[in-house]
Amino acid sequence: MDRRQFLKTSTAAVAAMGAGTAPWRAAQAQATPIKIGLLAPLTGVVASGGKEMVEGVQFYLDQVKNEMGGRKVELVIEDDASNPDTALQKARRLVEQGNCHMLIGNLLANTGLAVANYVKGTGTPYFIPIIAADDLTQRARIKNVIRVAGYTASAFTHPFGDWCLKQGYKRIATISQDYTFGHEQCGGLAQVFTEGGGTIVQQFWHPLNTADFSPYLGQLAELKVDAIFAMETGADSTRLIQQYASFGLKEKTPLLMAMNGTDQSVIRTIGPECEGIVAAAHFAEGSDVPTTAKFEKEYEAKYGKIPSLYGFSMYSGMMWIDAALKKIDGKVEDRETFIETVLKTELDNSPLGKAVKFDDYGNPIYDVYIRKVVKRADSKFWNVPIETYPNVSQFWKYDPATYLKQPPYSRTFQGIKKA
Amino acid sequence: MTPASKSRILGMTARGATTAAAILIVAALLPLGLSSYQVGLATEILIFGILAMSIDILAGFAGRTSLGHGAIFGVSTYVVVYMTSQAEMSPWLALLLGIAAATVVAAVFALLAVRTSGVYFLLLTLALGMIIWGVCLRWTQVTGGENGMRGDVRPAILVGQSAFYWAVLACAAVVSYAMWRFVCSPFGLTLRGIRDSESRMRSLGYNVPLHLFIGFSVSGVFAGIAGALYAMFNNFVSPSTVALAQSVEGVLMMIAGGVGTLFGAFVGAAAIIVLENIVSSYTQRWLMVLGITFVLIMIFAPEGIIGKLRAIFSRKAKAP
Amino acid sequence: MSEPILTLSDVTVAFDALKAVDGVSLTVPRGQRRAIIGPNGAGKTTLFNAIAGAHPPTSGKVMFNGNDVSELPPHRRARLGISRTFQITNLFPTLSVQDNMMLALRGLKPKKFSLFGAPDPDEAEAARIGSALKAARIAERADVIVKEMSYGEQRQLEIAIALVTTPTMLLLDEPAAGLSPSERSMIAEVIRSLDPAITVILIEHDMDLALGLVDHVTCMFEGRVLVEEPPEGIRRNAKVQEVYLGKPRHA
Repeated sequence: MDRRQFLKTSTAAVAAMGAGTAPWRAAQAQATPIKIGLLAPLTGVVASGGKEMVEGVQFYLDQVKNEMGGRKVELVIEDDASNPDTALQKARRLVEQGNCHMLIGNLLANTGLAVANYVKGTGTPYFIPIIAADDLTQRARIKNVIRVAGYTASAFTHPFGDWCLKQGYKRIATISQDYTFGHEQCGGLAQVFTEGGGTIVQQFWHPLNTADFSPYLGQLAELKVDAIFAMETGADSTRLIQQYASFGLKEKTPLLMAMNGTDQSVIRTIGPECEGIVAAAHFAEGSDVPTTAKFEKEYEAKYGKIPSLYGFSMYSGMMWIDAALKKIDGKVEDRETFIETVLKTELDNSPLGKAVKFDDYGNPIYDVYIRKVVKRADSKFWNVPIETYPNVSQFWKYDPATYLKQPPYSRTFQGIKKA
Repeated sequence: MTPASKSRILGMTARGATTAAAILIVAALLPLGLSSYQVGLATEILIFGILAMSIDILAGFAGRTSLGHGAIFGVSTYVVVYMTSQAEMSPWLALLLGIAAATVVAAVFALLAVRTSGVYFLLLTLALGMIIWGVCLRWTQVTGGENGMRGDVRPAILVGQSAFYWAVLACAAVVSYAMWRFVCSPFGLTLRGIRDSESRMRSLGYNVPLHLFIGFSVSGVFAGIAGALYAMFNNFVSPSTVALAQSVEGVLMMIAGGVGTLFGAFVGAAAIIVLENIVSSYTQRWLMVLGITFVLIMIFAPEGIIGKLRAIFSRKAKAP
Repeated sequence: MSEPILTLSDVTVAFDALKAVDGVSLTVPRGQRRAIIGPNGAGKTTLFNAIAGAHPPTSGKVMFNGNDVSELPPHRRARLGISRTFQITNLFPTLSVQDNMMLALRGLKPKKFSLFGAPDPDEAEAARIGSALKAARIAERADVIVKEMSYGEQRQLEIAIALVTTPTMLLLDEPAAGLSPSERSMIAEVIRSLDPAITVILIEHDMDLALGLVDHVTCMFEGRVLVEEPPEGIRRNAKVQEVYLGKPRHA
């Protein structure tokens, strides 16, 4: 028996044992609470985002009075410290020590990928509203890792590339943080844009935590492009937006960004420099769709700030899980059914504004907004939709099988069509 | 020389051998009484104990504290994960390659660092470690960049948590014995001589850099073993495994256990890992708590936990 | 007089413009006890360094036992039988006396590279360590940690370490510096009872101690040999009195 064979049989054996104990567990189901393990970076480089993730989850649980699928919910929060090794250790703790029925969370792709690899072995349902690594719903899918209210990195930049073509842009340059999340978002845009006849003039990759963008901005100013696409997160995004304006580029060349670049977590800290930046996303906090507006108002009333991607995604993710739990009367112990049900559940009445369902690969199909940063009446800035691409697949308009044959986006593969 | 010290088992005194056997038996029985998560923690303690011991070989015996051992450890982890997941190599062969790679990296570090000492050695090894980290982060095609690599590294028979623990325990026992023999050996004595007086060693005819080079490389082999085990433990590797924080943690574990006590490394690793786990479930400020604890250890037991215990016991033994 | 074991011909050691040793030639017969005296800055220790190899001569030749050792590094000279102690105690303070001796003994042997070998000395080693410690009169202190010994004992250990490699020539750099009178007489006793086959060259400030121990005295001044005479003559030598006592008078 080789190793793979052994793994298969042993997994089957474990599954059979699980099935054997299922009836007993089902009888217990109503009495005990559903244990949800929440992994969020409460310390480390992305701690502020992590705190908003916890808020999003708490906000939902408060609204449903801590009850999902007819059962009480016990939430166990663990700090992944923005570090994959810690994330993995905490995931072990939640599953093996805390006996959590499911895990949700993580912010940084490397923490999410580490936990995903772990639950591949345990079979624990793991929900990732924030982790955007393309391959988790593409080339390296894990059945029990589900992207509730999450997205693949390149899914929104595909339509964004199309929008750029419609604006009549011919020449675009990109600047991005040099890691997979950036490679994927830039790749999505670059592929669609160049296949439609556009030219990616140059691509700049800079290390995370770049303090001074002037060397890059200086070169960008020389390029004579129609627009610049920037993929930045956190403090890098703040700095790029500010320096882009102070460099005098804001008046000359339109700035387009990946949606994390103009997320509330970034723009709530800066002033008019961010006004007018365009991004593509599944969510725009300034949308006038009633469910979105209602969520935004309530969240802002409670936490005193406009919700960011982190709060919103975790909130919607919890809502999606709850919708599935209602269908199976909260029986999370039967993992297989639980996972199947989640994947079949359509999320309605969410802040997303429109019913959302999963594609065959476990990635939600959204309406993608092209959104713009505008000033609100109270002079805060937020994102308002200016155009909508309905029902966008993570494979855009490509045939999934063909698309999956191309390599994943990376620094060296950006899907750029040679002229 | 007393007659008692002449009857030796594998070079250990009768009392030493009994103590070692007792500890080993207790450690082997642990999985029977612990939850699988706790067994996982115990496994982690053993792995990091080996890393901390490999640092102690240099710090405690040659007087050279390395801040590059996390990187040496991590290189092994990277190679093992890469070889099993990308090159589809057998895990056993991958382990050997991982340890070999760590040894080569340690030898290169050693070539550059052996002529320095004190804070210069610290900074040089730190810088070399940062280079490894940078390479792992940047060389995306091979290392997976920021996201790292995942795979099924553990051989089939070690998939179970307890089975893996026992394998690591056996490994840790052999490696600890080897390291103990190493620091007690004639060569180990030369390292202690270098720690005490480099100039005297030179005048006695010792090639000091050569000895440090060998010592560093051997220490790298052990760090590599720990790194390879860590690859099997996590089935995953990312730049944080080779980051400075990893080296610092190894050094802190060694210091907490007691510099130059060798086996104190396990006590230090246990103290820090257990504390991390307990405290982090009560407060988000767990890093602060850890920091304060460390400061307290430095103030009240600068010789480390094991060092302090030894001092207390020897005082009691001297008192009538 | 027996054949010479050490011959220096026109040895100069220069530090940039300063010639610390300036054209020294001297011959030491096998088995002789020789003192090198002179005021501070006369170049005594520099001359030692030129002989032992810590600071090879800038020009001139050092012949030892028929070999030209002028260019050899210290450990190669040690292998030929030159052994020395240091003016400033330089031991391994956290190791035991036994371990200090072991390090001294194994410096020139391949056994130092035994990575996983047993720590204890073999029989031959134990015998040599035993006799060296005995010669230095600290045989019963083998298991003591060096930093716990008195300064006098540490100086004795210095001599034991120099002896353990069974040298043919022993260079003692102020072996009694900083010791109490009783410790000095102990050191003197140790030196006096050394194996007569060993050639001993000794730097010493304390004239009484030095003259009581040696057959022949070389007095250095400003890097050159001032006088070479047996001890009896040296006390009365006007030049020696001049350099030792005369200077302060002019000051």
